[in-house]
Amino acid sequence: MYYLGIDIGSLSSDAVLIDRDETVLATSVVPTGARNQEAIERATNEVLQKSGLTKDRLAAIVSTGYGRNRVTDRLCAVTEITCHAKGILAFYPQTRVLIDIGGQDSKVILLDADGKVTDFAMNDKCAAGTGRFLEAMARALQVDIDEMGELDKGAQAGLTISSMCTVFAESEVVSLIANGTPVKEIVNGLNRSIASRTVSLVKRVASDLNGYAVAMSGGVARNNGVVRAISEALGGVSVLVPELPDTVGAMGAALIAKERSGG
Amino acid sequence: MMMEYFEQLEDGLRKAIASGQASPRKIYSLEVARLGKRLYSGTNRVAWCGITAPFDLLGAMGITSCFVEFIGAMLASTGAAGEFIEATEHIGYSSDSCSYHRAVTGAAIKGLMPEPEFLIGTTNPCSGGLAVIENLAAHFKKKLFVLHVPQDESGKNVRYFADQLRDMTAFITDVTGITPDPEKLKMAMTNTNRTRSILAEIYDLARGLPSPVTSKELSNFGIVMALFLGTEEAVNVAEAYRDEFKHRLAAGATGRPKEKFRLLWIQNRIQFKNPIEKLLEDEFGARIVIDELNDITWDPIDLDDIYGGLARRSISIPFNGTIEKRVSHLRKLAKAYQVDGAVNPCNWGCRQGTGARGLIEDGLKEIGVPVLNLEVDCVDSRKFTEGQFRTRLEAFVEMMESRK
Repeated sequence: MYYLGIDIGSLSSDAVLIDRDETVLATSVVPTGARNQEAIERATNEVLQKSGLTKDRLAAIVSTGYGRNRVTDRLCAVTEITCHAKGILAFYPQTRVLIDIGGQDSKVILLDADGKVTDFAMNDKCAAGTGRFLEAMARALQVDIDEMGELDKGAQAGLTISSMCTVFAESEVVSLIANGTPVKEIVNGLNRSIASRTVSLVKRVASDLNGYAVAMSGGVARNNGVVRAISEALGGVSVLVPELPDTVGAMGAALIAKERSGG
Repeated sequence: MMMEYFEQLEDGLRKAIASGQASPRKIYSLEVARLGKRLYSGTNRVAWCGITAPFDLLGAMGITSCFVEFIGAMLASTGAAGEFIEATEHIGYSSDSCSYHRAVTGAAIKGLMPEPEFLIGTTNPCSGGLAVIENLAAHFKKKLFVLHVPQDESGKNVRYFADQLRDMTAFITDVTGITPDPEKLKMAMTNTNRTRSILAEIYDLARGLPSPVTSKELSNFGIVMALFLGTEEAVNVAEAYRDEFKHRLAAGATGRPKEKFRLLWIQNRIQFKNPIEKLLEDEFGARIVIDELNDITWDPIDLDDIYGGLARRSISIPFNGTIEKRVSHLRKLAKAYQVDGAVNPCNWGCRQGTGARGLIEDGLKEIGVPVLNLEVDCVDSRKFTEGQFRTRLEAFVEMMESRK
């Protein structure tokens, strides 16, 4: 029997297919775009194609992400908080603090020693510091978002992006470009700005990390610069990032699909 | 616009009640509509007040009185608050300030606040509310009396505040020519005490396992019932709730069939139409069984010391004084109602809502009650996104589920 987890986020839709031994058979990350129904189908078809399976072999589908209720043939829909928490334990069972930064949400999840969610905090009011924020900044800098993670190398780390709003931060970046500020310094400033917001969320659920293992999931975790900045802002704590951080939520959903269907 | 709204509301509720569709909430809402009509009739003596004003004392003197936030909430419930909030911002108010107060100020700017005969400000629960009253006094060029509410219930403070209430009465006499009739005052206080006693019964019944109350039935209840105190109608509303809850418990029925999780709602509810209570009950099996302000924190008013009793009542409200006192009250409620979690809407721009957030969260967590802090503007629906709230509520419920 096979179990599918699908995470419909604001920027990407991710799917993970596992078997009864919880082995990952295939993963898929596709842009969500304007039609999430199409993204659901594309992500599902991609993992089925990669694994050589047909849909009728799926014992259960669990959906998560903001579009979770759009998956029609699901066993159930579960929030990103629960799914990311479940998913990260498959990669790093020792995780006690999980930072997940997606397209429009950033969240920090506190887990107990048994892997249960005991608290969580999410970004307030706006999407500053999320994937959308990074997208807007990459656009202003005219750089590829996937390259941003390496662009701050060699920066002196003295620049601060102080604006608390994505639009204002973008205009701040435009002004810095106009002033001839090197891109690496701007990117470094942006990374530290995201890190500062993220650490505020971490402190809300765990005022003292107390040796807790910290992991990160979500698309922004692919940005090494942000991960480094978060690690520094946490006082040098090492931040664990799985190979495919985008798929952690979908992995959690797949594991829940197996669990809840009695697999 | 508002008069029409309250007339239609009263008419609809009267017809529904007369056709056998009475419910405690409808009987309560009918009184809300009638209060609205009295405020907007243009024929009653009206006083705009702060939240902790003695409405029963004012009523006994023939004054229709109301706290200003009531209008902000009403505008929100009609879905019309946005344009009034904007009108306030157009004259320079920050969009980060409390939208109850921006809506009221906008209503005054647009000529939608009934002209009062005088105003009674209160220094508790917030300085923003007092500022609105002061602005309204300037706007209408009417006299204002400010009650300085002491923060602790010491004998000295009660005497100090009781003296202020006497001064307030003299102020009203000075402005209106009305002197308090001792018999009417005693009658009002007798009604207040009767209502108090029935409210205590209602809250006691609501503690039942499972609770007979639905999430919506007692929303905004405690704070609005303060406006009806001293009247026979308040007694009738309270009796309707008590009898219905008793009936449900006797019949083995509950407010809703599912009660997986019991919740404590901190501060005020969201005033515009929103799906939160329905989501909580229908999809997540969670029910709000107690609101922070639905509690009796004061003793019956001693008819031989009415001003002292009213002073003690105003000082006793949980929003007055230190946060420690407020947290202690919330912990008491959480234990008494055996809640699984608490929701704090943290109304934008409200220092009561946001300033105490961390201490409240820590205080409840210490007794094993998790808290969901939302970031919500309780009056301005334009800032509400259902998907964001759904995720937070659902994740909170999933978290409580994993703790069971």
